[in-house]
Amino acid sequence: MSFDAVLLQQIINGLSLGAMYALLALGFTLVYGILELINFAHFNVFMLASFIGMGALELLGLSGQSTILGGSALAGALAFAFIVTMIAAGVIGVLIERIALRPLRGVRGTAAMITTIGVSYILFNVVLLVFGAESKNFPNPMPTVSWQVGGATLHLREVLIWIVALVLMAALHLFVNRTRLGKAMRATAQDAEAARMMGINVDRVIVTAFFLGSALAGAAALIFGLYYNFTSFIIGYTAGLRAFTAAVLGGIGSVTGAMVGGVIIGLIESLGGQLIAVRWTDVIIFSILVLVLVFAPTGLFGRATPTKS
Amino acid sequence: MVKLREAEAARPRSGMMGDTFALLRRASPVAWVAPHLRSRLLVAIVTVAAVLFPIVIRNDADIDSAANALTFAALALGLNIVVGFAGLLDLGYAAFFAIGAYAYGVAASWQLAPAWSGFWEPFQWLGLVSRFHDTGGDVVHFQVSFWLMMPIAAAITACFGVLFGAPTLRLKGDYLAIVTLGFGEIVPIVARNTPSITNGAMGLNGVAAPQLFGWSFGVNATPYYYVGLALVAFLILVSHRLKLSRIGRAWMAIREDEIAAAAMGVDRVKLKLLAFATGAAFAGATGTLFVAKLQTATPEMFMFPVSVMILVMIVFGGIGSVWGVVIGAIILQILQSWFLEDLSQWLHALGRLIDVDWLQHVELSSSIELIFGLILVIMMLYRREGLIPATRPAPPLSLAEQSAQVGRGGFDRLSSIGLLDRAVEQGPLLDVSGLTISFGGLVALRSVSLQVPAHGVVAVIGPNGSGKSTLFNVVTGLLAPDEGHIRFAGEEIARRPPHAVLERGIARTFQNIRLFPNLSVLENVMIGMHARMHTGAVGAVLRLPGSQREEAAARERAMEIISIFGNRLVPRADHIVGGLSYANRRRVEIARALASQPKLLLLDEPTAGMNPAETLELADQIKSLNKLGLTIVLIEHKLDVVVSLADNVIVLDHGEKIAEGTPAEVRRDENVIRAYLGRSAAVA
Repeated sequence: MSFDAVLLQQIINGLSLGAMYALLALGFTLVYGILELINFAHFNVFMLASFIGMGALELLGLSGQSTILGGSALAGALAFAFIVTMIAAGVIGVLIERIALRPLRGVRGTAAMITTIGVSYILFNVVLLVFGAESKNFPNPMPTVSWQVGGATLHLREVLIWIVALVLMAALHLFVNRTRLGKAMRATAQDAEAARMMGINVDRVIVTAFFLGSALAGAAALIFGLYYNFTSFIIGYTAGLRAFTAAVLGGIGSVTGAMVGGVIIGLIESLGGQLIAVRWTDVIIFSILVLVLVFAPTGLFGRATPTKS
Repeated sequence: MVKLREAEAARPRSGMMGDTFALLRRASPVAWVAPHLRSRLLVAIVTVAAVLFPIVIRNDADIDSAANALTFAALALGLNIVVGFAGLLDLGYAAFFAIGAYAYGVAASWQLAPAWSGFWEPFQWLGLVSRFHDTGGDVVHFQVSFWLMMPIAAAITACFGVLFGAPTLRLKGDYLAIVTLGFGEIVPIVARNTPSITNGAMGLNGVAAPQLFGWSFGVNATPYYYVGLALVAFLILVSHRLKLSRIGRAWMAIREDEIAAAAMGVDRVKLKLLAFATGAAFAGATGTLFVAKLQTATPEMFMFPVSVMILVMIVFGGIGSVWGVVIGAIILQILQSWFLEDLSQWLHALGRLIDVDWLQHVELSSSIELIFGLILVIMMLYRREGLIPATRPAPPLSLAEQSAQVGRGGFDRLSSIGLLDRAVEQGPLLDVSGLTISFGGLVALRSVSLQVPAHGVVAVIGPNGSGKSTLFNVVTGLLAPDEGHIRFAGEEIARRPPHAVLERGIARTFQNIRLFPNLSVLENVMIGMHARMHTGAVGAVLRLPGSQREEAAARERAMEIISIFGNRLVPRADHIVGGLSYANRRRVEIARALASQPKLLLLDEPTAGMNPAETLELADQIKSLNKLGLTIVLIEHKLDVVVSLADNVIVLDHGEKIAEGTPAEVRRDENVIRAYLGRSAAVA
């Protein structure tokens, strides 16, 4: 492969990773926008959701990469898996909010964030105890159709991932900007107190944010499984931190920012791994996280500053 | 009747846990010991038990676990400085542990072996390196003493604490956590990716064991246990003395309310960096011990789970509580290394007995992280103050102590007022000219000029949103003006940081009261003295005679200031201010401002929320302050207070000065009437 072709291949890979990070970053941004809370539980909601997605596919009798579906059977199977995973992940998110975070609403300081670290640890270890430490073969019914584009290979699964991610992001965009609940969400993000006084049910808005964010993490988890053909109890931490970096880079609280940030981080991961060295990828990404927070805390599209006023 | 109900409310609420503790306390022999001796007795018992432990136990594996527990207790003490005292949530604390560990590991192993040259001879003479004959030529063997390396590693890590802390200074809590988490990730990755220094993922090998008078510690756990014990004892002492000093109070002020801390003279940058450096130094020293005991160091030993584990320990023990975090660390370590093992064995036996297969294979020690997660969530939901809370509720007041009579006439003595230079006596003390500041499109102040004569009382009035509080914020350095000058005693102070403005002699109160809610009345007032005291971290730890004298004098002066409010605050000196009435909190805020020995006092609506009698009382007290020589600017809505206190009144409206004069003149001013009552009232 020529250098250009390698570069193009890495861009294709980066866009796929980026789509996943963007979906995951949206969960951080939705919750942060409203509660100003960094939700560490989100890392492992994503991880748990990948196991749910695996279960949903296995429920259809799919296992490993041997059973290949085509046409409407493939569409149906994927639609079923996405719907089940997203709803289940959304419910988990709502339960976490209801049980662990709502009692801490209004408590000053970092108590809520520390709680989310605890929840994350619980999810992590429950999955570890139940499913064991070895990584699992993730069912993938997609045929290995691919096209040659300028020397690089474009797989069907990548195109499908882009389509799913774009549809979900467009749907979220419409929801936030066009619906009544979306408007209530934006109002609460601006000023929860004022929103409450205007008759907005802030609790419902928060629950919605957790549901949507976690459901998108569910979609990201399924994409992860279909992309890498495996899942494991450890996937939440690295992917979660990268997605969080994406949210910060885009401007935490901004839906557009999370999408753009996700794609940028995906590209940095694939191109950085190619051009520098894979072992330094994490250092690059964390350095971006630190540099953005310190020097440009509003990110690319953010408005609220993360510094105290 | 009302008073009784107040008494009920003032009593500290004790949950079920509190009742149980109280019951235990009454039933135990501790009740026979005089209260002031109890804590000393307890410390003595714990010390003796800890010293005797290896002699009694004799089992090397158990002593080893205990030595590890002490290591983590030392780390918990360090994280407690950063998180508990200064309120800076650090999720990457293991990075400092790693730096300390690698510092000693590299300085006492074969990892670096540069070729021998004359450069190394002086070091050889000092015994830090030795010359080793290798087949490829002579190389340098590093063999720096453990005892020398411990303080050096602490100093190196302290520098890294400053380095990592510096970029995070402006960030608020949760973002700070993320940045520190980032550093916590980067450090082990760098260690893994620079094998020439750290031997990469394989880890350092053959780190030398400490030696004492020629005797090597080797792999026997007992000497490490005693070094760990001495380290923990030392760090407890340091933590304890820092907490009760000027430095500790400033840290807690930052934790409680950063803005108010700055306005009270606390240099946030300096103190936050000091907290990072101190916490890091603790971890660095501990890392030395840890790596000496294990005689190896790998990047995996310092990853995120270690940072979380230390956080769990301090959350469990009680954030900010010195004894709490030590006990939290020890309990969790013991749970991990002894109890879970034994419990698993017990469950296996039970499984065999009742023939249940899965019980025979349960490994509880692998679920320790699950337990950590549960501890974090349960503590946060049900007992945020931890096992041993950092602050104990003060005893409830008697009815006599609670009943306050309205006192009139003010007071006639107070030593804590800044004296003015003779030169300043003549001209204006505060001279503001052409002050303009805007937020986005909104001009909050437009070219405002005013003068405050020395020893005068100037009132600033105006409708809500006219820019009064903004004026105070600009003068005290919380906001930087777009244009204009602020001269205080002839010196330009615009754009100076808030703590520097306070040092010059301007103290303030806030419209919406910004006290340090979880600190006592006395502590709040003493934080006001921060800029007038000199004890640094070293002085506080060593309890130098000068520091002790200063501390005693500060306490005495704080009580004197509190006593100007009669018996309203004196009986409550040790009460947490968060539980005081609104009016009392206002008084504490004034007392805190007075503690800084101000030359100029800015009072932002001091009588808001007070009833008419209390208002008159406070007005008298403010008048007394002025008589004693203090220059005062006050924002006030109650016109009778303005009339009775102010020599001069300045009226702001929409950020502009619309009138100035004596209270009588201002009252008749058409612009003022229009601003307050509208156009038609002015015409009529």
